[in-house]
Amino acid sequence: MANLATAQKVAVRATWGSDLSARAEAFKLSRADLDAAITATDNWIELNAAAFNLALPLVARTNLTAAQKAELFMRVAQKRYGG
Amino acid sequence: MASANTLATFLPYQNEPPAANYATLDTRNGQPVLDFDGSTSETTIFSCIAPSNYAAGGFTCILHIAFTSATTGNAVFACSVERGSTDMDADSFAAASQGTVAANGTSGIETQLTVAIATMDSIVAGDHFRLKVDRLPADVSDDIATDAELRSIEVRET
Repeated sequence: MANLATAQKVAVRATWGSDLSARAEAFKLSRADLDAAITATDNWIELNAAAFNLALPLVARTNLTAAQKAELFMRVAQKRYGG
Repeated sequence: MASANTLATFLPYQNEPPAANYATLDTRNGQPVLDFDGSTSETTIFSCIAPSNYAAGGFTCILHIAFTSATTGNAVFACSVERGSTDMDADSFAAASQGTVAANGTSGIETQLTVAIATMDSIVAGDHFRLKVDRLPADVSDDIATDAELRSIEVRET
């Protein structure tokens, strides 16, 4: 899967910015720093997606859709780190 | 009126939002604020009558601004005026003047941004006028990705 397009990264920033504002959560990154973090995260996912897929049990690997695997990853990561 | 005297004050509940991309009315600890998005340029508008002792000088707008989440960085706001002598069915704001405001290290503490409006649209005492305030998140100096909160505006004669 290709990396996110610029417009998609901007959408991530905009959506997250709105969510942070709605929660009135302290946030110290500048827009440029946030953009760099989004790009780095996207790059890391691109590099490690295959390894994550291989780490899944066979039944999950073969029966979950790509979107479901992404949601699984997001939910576990969020639970681990306080989301 | 002497220079630097207050001509008008504007509070969030007085705002006349445009049809689209308007600053959103919100409260923070029960205090009304207008939220300006960190990605999309949003606008608020206020109406007033220029006081009878207004000497037709410039307007200096003092914007009282806090930030919902940011504790560092800058935001850019623009102010412009429209003399109420034109067709109400179309906006005719004069050229805007802008300024940059830095976030306080505590997001709930406001910072004051002073913007001197350079183009006054020939407003004189007794005129109905409108003041428009835009946040400009696409400006290179605006680096805060989250909301700015406008608490109030004081307009002084320059």
